[in-house]
Amino acid sequence: MPEPQNNVQVLPLVPLKNSVLFPNLLMPLSIGRAASLAAVEAALATEEKEIVVVAQRDPAVDVPGPDSIYTIGTKAVIRKMSRPSEDMLEVLVLGVERVVILKVDATEPYIRARVQPYPVPAERNAEIEALTRALLELGAKAISLAQNQQPQNPAELGKLLGFNDDPLRLVYLLASMFSLEVAKEQTLLEAPSRVEALRLMHGYLSHELQVLELRNKIASDARTEMSKEQREYMLRQQLKAIQQELGEKNPDQAEVEMLREQLEKADLPEEVRKEANRELSRLERMPAGQPEHGVIRTYLELLLELPWNKYTEDNLDIARARQVLDEDHFNLKEVKERILEHLGVLKLNPEAKAPILCFVGPPGVGKTSLGQSIARALGRKFERMSLGGLHDEAELRGHRRTYIGAMPGRLIQAIRRAGAKNPVLMLDEVDKLGRDFRGDPAAALLEVLDPEQNKTFRDNYLDLPFDLSKVLFVTTANTLDTIPRPLLDRMEILRLSGYSEEEKVQIARRYLIPRQLNQTGLKPEQCQITDEALKKLISGYTREAGLRRLEQAIGRIARKVALKFAEDPEAGAATVTPDDVVEMLGPEPFHLEQARKELPPGVATGLAWTETGGDVLYIEATLLPDGKGLTLTGQLGEVMQESAKAAQSYVWSHAELLGIDPAIFKNSGVHVHVPAGAIPKDGPSAGVTMVTALASLYTKLPARNDTAMTGEVTLTGLVLPIGGVKEKVLAARRAGIKRVILPKANQKDLRDVPEAVRSEMEFVFADRIEDVLMAAIPDLSERLLITSKVA
Amino acid sequence: MRRLFAWGNVKTWSIYLSHPDATNAWNPPVDIYRGPRGWLLKFDLAGVSPSDVKVRISGSRVTVSGVRRDWVVEQGYSHHSMEISYNRFERTVELPGDLSRAEYSLEARDGLLLVRVDLE
Repeated sequence: MPEPQNNVQVLPLVPLKNSVLFPNLLMPLSIGRAASLAAVEAALATEEKEIVVVAQRDPAVDVPGPDSIYTIGTKAVIRKMSRPSEDMLEVLVLGVERVVILKVDATEPYIRARVQPYPVPAERNAEIEALTRALLELGAKAISLAQNQQPQNPAELGKLLGFNDDPLRLVYLLASMFSLEVAKEQTLLEAPSRVEALRLMHGYLSHELQVLELRNKIASDARTEMSKEQREYMLRQQLKAIQQELGEKNPDQAEVEMLREQLEKADLPEEVRKEANRELSRLERMPAGQPEHGVIRTYLELLLELPWNKYTEDNLDIARARQVLDEDHFNLKEVKERILEHLGVLKLNPEAKAPILCFVGPPGVGKTSLGQSIARALGRKFERMSLGGLHDEAELRGHRRTYIGAMPGRLIQAIRRAGAKNPVLMLDEVDKLGRDFRGDPAAALLEVLDPEQNKTFRDNYLDLPFDLSKVLFVTTANTLDTIPRPLLDRMEILRLSGYSEEEKVQIARRYLIPRQLNQTGLKPEQCQITDEALKKLISGYTREAGLRRLEQAIGRIARKVALKFAEDPEAGAATVTPDDVVEMLGPEPFHLEQARKELPPGVATGLAWTETGGDVLYIEATLLPDGKGLTLTGQLGEVMQESAKAAQSYVWSHAELLGIDPAIFKNSGVHVHVPAGAIPKDGPSAGVTMVTALASLYTKLPARNDTAMTGEVTLTGLVLPIGGVKEKVLAARRAGIKRVILPKANQKDLRDVPEAVRSEMEFVFADRIEDVLMAAIPDLSERLLITSKVA
Repeated sequence: MRRLFAWGNVKTWSIYLSHPDATNAWNPPVDIYRGPRGWLLKFDLAGVSPSDVKVRISGSRVTVSGVRRDWVVEQGYSHHSMEISYNRFERTVELPGDLSRAEYSLEARDGLLLVRVDLE
């Protein structure tokens, strides 16, 4: 601690805004503040020229008082002084020693401080030695890094650092060279020991080194980037010069001119032409290197290619259209009629709005190909896009041109491909539209499919109204359940249900076999497939409402026959019989749910509609001696569960009528199971089957095994109509069931069932559940008849 | 701002340093003469009275240190600029040969300080 009183000096003080003066180092100072000027003047008037230099705590303070300066500073001698102007002083000061400010005697006209030397205790040990060496190494590295940027930096600096024998001086020297922040420099000045100062400086310098390395990297990266861009620019300028020399036109200019020419020739609406001209003049002013150049060009090309006023002539010959439709598709009367109707309307009123059709049906029934033949019949272009899995609205409506890589939506793209304003545009799988946070494509479709709105459809990319009202939209779906209601309302639903076996045989004869033979290169007479073989293929090898797998199976047979001919050209014509089918395709993969031989009490035969057609399903019920209530299994949906409860309630409330002992209800629960257990089922149409199964269970009388039934039942025993009659009847027939109980209200739907099927089956139409029970449980019918007579 | 110019400062780093062997004093220039009796050192130290100068000899080194004090030439005048260094100075020269038994004398002549080092 500085003790002796005579060491204390009173000296003028100069506060420094943003640096620290270290002992033993020289520093130039520019003095501009009045108080500092006065302090320097006062010092100059003394024999010794001594002042105290202290850093300010906050550089923003303009007239610092005693509180806003650090308490440890440096005593300095003014070595040189000059006045570049009247109110400025430039001085060179040499730091002499570290001092502590004991007291500030005065602040006017300049700060006078009572200071005392405050030396750093001299010491020397191994730690100092080690730290010094580490710091030297670090310093040398940092300096060489810095020299990359400042090649004129004297080389002897490193040498100079080398023979610094006082580590403190080394610290001060490095600190002033690397110009650390004031706060950091002050901590170095205030360090209580050499070890501490060395440690601090080592930390600061490591940081500096990192900054330097990073800066060097950035600088070199920037240099390479710059030179690449410059190179490209230079080459472009040269290219331009060469082209001018050769008398060639600037390619950009030529391109603009070509576009302008096309634009003038093109038949565009006024609004579009204006927009196109505006974009074109933007293009003209833009250098070709700019990314936007390409964007504008693609946009203009789209404007030119879109069929703003181009139509294809409709073929309004109804007879020919009918012929085309019949050629391509078997049956499907309803759909064909609708197309021909529209043709008729167009003939009378060419301005008529096109209908928006929706074909609903199981896969493989020919929805997509029907679209194609509509286009063929009408003589229009056909374009198809699948909406399955589409979940981004922008896919339909396009991205705004501000985005990089923006494209028009699929609709506009399809129109562009079609090249006409009135194509048949097929939107496949409209029931499989996705929906997520990016938007709801179904909602976007609403605008497209509304004849009132789609006259001015605005694609985000195009940003101009395009008239879609002449487009004949045809959508397809497997089910209507997943289509949003508002979308469904805009479309005309046309159902294409599955085909019966006879229809399939017909279709195979007319379309599938010729097509497959043609593909394998066989002549029709070389490969004959018998009706029996076809039926085997249909029932044993394919299980579908449509025809895809049947066609594949026929294709496999055709290929096998083709192979035979390829091996032996002399071979005679082949006739494929059911046995040949088994030989060629292996054993039948499907066993249809065949009619069960005998039904125990509690089992009834139901009919179900599925997306792939119809199916026979058995409902099994059994009593649980100790159980209570109703147990339902077999993946039943909510509606089906309620339907089971309603059936139970009906049976319980009509126990007397059915001749059931009510005690049985009290003593035992009931379990209803619907196989196959892994397939989810829902819907109300199993109601009558449930009642039959339960009635059979409680009365212990078996139901007829050759009778299947379908229909919704109410609590009071009314039988309500259901859907999918055709599929269900076909399914029953496939399973070998010849007798079907249907709701009376569904009698009219039998029209859809092919004549051949109808004639070989027996139908029972029921108004009330009693009719069903009488038809299904023979032994019960007597009892019912008797009771109803008695009643 | 200061950070931006950090390496601008390195260019002028040398002005932060006084002569390598100096610490916190300035170094007067010196001419060294060799004569039959020993050495004559002529320091550029005008305005320094010999009584303010200290000479130290150890081994083959001669260290001359002292203080140059400014004085007021005439009342009412103050500095407009300053190029002469004041306050503590120190200069060490190394001479060939052993000086342990040498003697020295000081003389101020025409603004120069002469230090004679006689080898007996």
